[in-house]
Amino acid sequence: MTTDGQIVFIVDDDERIREALSELLATHGMCALAFGSAGDYIRADKPDVPACLILDIELPDINGLDLQRQIAEGDHPPIVFLTGHGDIPSSVRAIKHGAVDFLTKPFSDADLMAAIHAAIAQDRVQRSERAELGVLKQRYLELTPREREVLPLVVSGLLNKQAAAELGISEVTLEIHRRNVMQKMVAASLADLVRIAERLGIPITHSRRAGGN
Amino acid sequence: MTIAPNSLGETDSSATRALTHDLDRSGPGSGRSFATNEPGLIRGNMISDLERGRLSRVWSHRPQFLHLGLFITAYVLGCGFAQSLAIIPGTGISIWPPSGLFIATLVFASRYSWPWWVLGACVAELFSNFLWFHTPLPAAFLIFAGNALEAVAGAWLVNQTCKRPVRLETLRDVLAFVALAAGVAPVASATVGSAALSWFGIQSQTFATAWPLWWIGDATGVLIVAPLALVVFQNWRGKAQLSAARWMEACVLGLIFLGTAALSLSGYLPFAYIIMPPLLWAAVRFEFRGAAVALTVLALITAVFTISGASQFAGDPESQKHNQIMLQLFLAISAFSALVMAAISRQHQAAVLTLRQSVETLRERERELSLLVEMIPAHIARMAPNGEPTFFSKRTTDYIGLNDIADWDKPGTSRLATVVAAAVHPDDGPRMREWLSRSLATGEPYPIRYRLRRADGVYRWREGRAEPLRNQSGAIVQWYTASIDIDDEVRAQEALRDRERELSQLVDMVPSHVWRLTPDGEPTFFNKRMVDFLGLDVTDLDKQGISRLAAMIAAIVHPDDAAAFGDTLSHCLATGERFSMRYRLRRADGIYHWMSSRAEPMHDHAGLIAQWYGLCHDIDDQMQAEEALRRSELQLQQMIDAVPVRIWSAVPTGGPVYFNKRYQDHFRAVIANFETLGEPRIEELLQELVHPEDAPEVLRTLLSCFETGGGSAMRFRWRETDGYRWAECRVEPRRDEDGAVVQWYGVSLDIDEEVRAQEALRQASDKLAQATQAASLAELSASIAHEVNQPLAAIVANSHACHRWLSAAPPNVERAKITAERIIRDANSAADVVGRIRALFKQSTETRTNATLSSVIAEARDLVAEEAMRRGVRTSVDVGSDIPLVAFDRVQIQQVLVNLIRNGMEAMDSGADDGVISIRVRHIGDVVQTEVRDRGRGVAFPDRIFEPFFTTKEQGMGMGLAICRSIIESHSGRLWVEKNEPRGATFIFTLPIEAKAAS
Repeated sequence: MTTDGQIVFIVDDDERIREALSELLATHGMCALAFGSAGDYIRADKPDVPACLILDIELPDINGLDLQRQIAEGDHPPIVFLTGHGDIPSSVRAIKHGAVDFLTKPFSDADLMAAIHAAIAQDRVQRSERAELGVLKQRYLELTPREREVLPLVVSGLLNKQAAAELGISEVTLEIHRRNVMQKMVAASLADLVRIAERLGIPITHSRRAGGN
Repeated sequence: MTIAPNSLGETDSSATRALTHDLDRSGPGSGRSFATNEPGLIRGNMISDLERGRLSRVWSHRPQFLHLGLFITAYVLGCGFAQSLAIIPGTGISIWPPSGLFIATLVFASRYSWPWWVLGACVAELFSNFLWFHTPLPAAFLIFAGNALEAVAGAWLVNQTCKRPVRLETLRDVLAFVALAAGVAPVASATVGSAALSWFGIQSQTFATAWPLWWIGDATGVLIVAPLALVVFQNWRGKAQLSAARWMEACVLGLIFLGTAALSLSGYLPFAYIIMPPLLWAAVRFEFRGAAVALTVLALITAVFTISGASQFAGDPESQKHNQIMLQLFLAISAFSALVMAAISRQHQAAVLTLRQSVETLRERERELSLLVEMIPAHIARMAPNGEPTFFSKRTTDYIGLNDIADWDKPGTSRLATVVAAAVHPDDGPRMREWLSRSLATGEPYPIRYRLRRADGVYRWREGRAEPLRNQSGAIVQWYTASIDIDDEVRAQEALRDRERELSQLVDMVPSHVWRLTPDGEPTFFNKRMVDFLGLDVTDLDKQGISRLAAMIAAIVHPDDAAAFGDTLSHCLATGERFSMRYRLRRADGIYHWMSSRAEPMHDHAGLIAQWYGLCHDIDDQMQAEEALRRSELQLQQMIDAVPVRIWSAVPTGGPVYFNKRYQDHFRAVIANFETLGEPRIEELLQELVHPEDAPEVLRTLLSCFETGGGSAMRFRWRETDGYRWAECRVEPRRDEDGAVVQWYGVSLDIDEEVRAQEALRQASDKLAQATQAASLAELSASIAHEVNQPLAAIVANSHACHRWLSAAPPNVERAKITAERIIRDANSAADVVGRIRALFKQSTETRTNATLSSVIAEARDLVAEEAMRRGVRTSVDVGSDIPLVAFDRVQIQQVLVNLIRNGMEAMDSGADDGVISIRVRHIGDVVQTEVRDRGRGVAFPDRIFEPFFTTKEQGMGMGLAICRSIIESHSGRLWVEKNEPRGATFIFTLPIEAKAAS
């Protein structure tokens, strides 16, 4: 029954709601961690697994929407909002800031579970992307300074000759650097390398025409 | 007979002159050469006068006959003595005592009486010749002439050499006497006498053999007799001053002397000179007198023994001559020795006496000096070069009260430090020590003033000064200090200084500026206050080219006032009139202050102006106040004219005295002939100005006011240029202390728009009331929804959970059961809320039971416990012991308590460090009163918080307290709020004890 490797965080000031939600999630085999206030949630040690945050809007210390804004800076699980009396401006604001769903109390089991599943799935994707990017960043860091100079020139589409001229080195040397870059960045092809560079946010500094002149 | 003295005198004087002349040649004296020359110069024609004068002087100096007789007698006896002693047969030459007598007499007598003595001696010698010598008369006369020459020369020489009267008391005198009288003088006698003897062939004597005998005989005679004669002459009238002991000694000595003389000279002892010790003893002990007497006695004894032949000097005729010489030598040596010894003794005695006198004199001087030191009205001290005091004058020690300088010696500290510490005032001690150490180090004298403690403990000011005494190499040997009492002076100076300071303080402290000008207007003095105010001193004003006054005016007087100030001052200076003016002075910080200045001249005796004395009083505040008053009056006037109201005032009887500008403009605009109306009466004005419908009422009200003295407010319509406008007019009297009306004040405000707006408002208000009712219903339902929604959401979620537990395979019944229980609990909770709301609106009393408040309070506390913990708030409960049972709805009262406690916690949320909610229950009269006290921010609107939908919370609905109040009021109780000191609020509700629970 229990689905390992995922967790649901509940932040609600009403003890009864926290109980009921935990129980409900238990019936779905989900592990839940409940907090009475935003502060408690922020301070708590949270397991590093795919997760989802069920957040009440009316909280005693920090408003749920404000908490969303606060944690938006870092990596955080996707949020499913709960509210006693949902108004349109609040819901719009929540969704605009990336909330997965905005549920009004009382809510149905299906809606809640759908939202939770969607959120956890989204978190999984985010986490894997973050991990992949992490690997790419690590590879990029292993490049030599000269190779880091070569990379943007290559992905900009410059010919070897042009790139070599740009850096003031011989074409043969550039070839060697280029091969090393491909090898270190584990790029199967130039198109692959271009994609990687894009993900790393390496700017395309030269157009081929500019370099060709 | 009478010629002889003349010739003698002649010879004498010429011999004297000759001798003196010789002496002058050898001596350095010149005064005496003049004296001796004088007779030579006047000798020629003046000689007879001189002779006559001398003769009369010789006559007047004649000696007494008794003296002369005695002299002659003694001379004759001396001659007899000599004759008896002339042991050499036929010579007649022996000791010649008359020569000693003769010389002594002349030495003693005045020179003008000498002829008499010479005459007497001549008589005596010739008489003796007749008796014993029997020499031919010419020879005898010649011999006498030699003797006289000897005596005169000897006496003259002795008198010249020795001091008169000749006392033979010094060695020099004795030696001179011996040499001149006994050595030189007998030469004359021996020469003349020996020549006479050989000439006349008397006793067949040759000159060569007679001369030595003659000389030594005369010398011995002189040596033996002259001293005795002198003693006899000098002590003729003097008393014997010998003590008994001396007499005794004299007697013993005399016996010894006689004995020795008898033994030694009579031949029992072969040595005559054994007599010397007693002789010298006499000379030493009894000096000249003793020597003279002893010698005389010795001579007599010798003579007796010699004549009798028992002496060693008597012998066979062959050795007679030798013995004669030996005898005479013996006597001469004895006499010489005795005289010299006597002189030495005398001199010694004199020296001892002089020494004693000197010592006495010194002691006297020392006493005088010491007296001087002690009597000088100053303290005198002496210090060693290192500063240690070695002497204090008695005055000093008496002053300080210590007897001895050594009393100050303490082990470990120097005497100086002890003295300074003990006697110098503690305030002056360090300065004193510093001064001393510096003076001691540098050696320079330095005056100092200090206070010294007197024996009775009083300190008095002294001025001290120390001077070093240096030796030849410049090193300091001693320090001498003197200090004088200047206490009175210092105190006088202090008093003077105090007075001066007081005066100066007075001048400086007077809360005004004081200054002084010369008759020309040059400022010479500003007091301190003025200097502080101006920030400059008189001397700062010295500038090249312009006078100090001009510089001052330029520097400190406000440029706008400078010209007037200068003119006024120069006018006053010229005329001597009193100066009085107001002007602005620049303070040091550059701000100008208004000053009221006055100056008056001081005249000297001649009536001329000596100084100008001025006072400058700061009237800036006054001027500012006046200015402010003027400004405020102006502002008030402007305000009264500018405010959009019409203001008037009237005398107590109603006669108007003032209308403000707006009023007057209004009158001018409305009343056509206003300018010509003069004093308007109130009725006329009202008729002209007020709406005809309102005028009678207004008039009546006003008159009634004036009559009763009460204020009034009324609304009526003024006539304006373009119709009528509503105005509100208020009238109020101003009363004096007795309550009588002094003046009436009225204000008329245009309220036309307000009146119209109020009309519109009233209409809007009705619509608003309906709208508010609707709004409150909607809000209430939202609130109810919120209250119910929470348990509902829990119920739904739990229901799903329960359903899933049961639908699972296998069904988890345990968990489903728990879930179901929660559903029941939450559903009941929701039902309670609904029930409470219904009860609120129904105001039902059915659920009321008699219960204790403490249990309900405990429940309510438990309900909020979690929240309280989270917020860090403590709750304390204090329930009185005598609380009776009260009938109330448990749920409702619990709701009220929870609400109040939660409100309190929320109020303390912001920055409360010691959050405490204290709940107190008391039995007061016929009610039970419950207080919920917090320390929060308090209640800003105590009247409004119980109104529905009034909230100070962002998330609040504004229903809580409204519901609470309706709950309490449905229990016939009251709920209110009070402020806490220093902060927070207390919500208090009461429940009646005799609640109608039964009904």
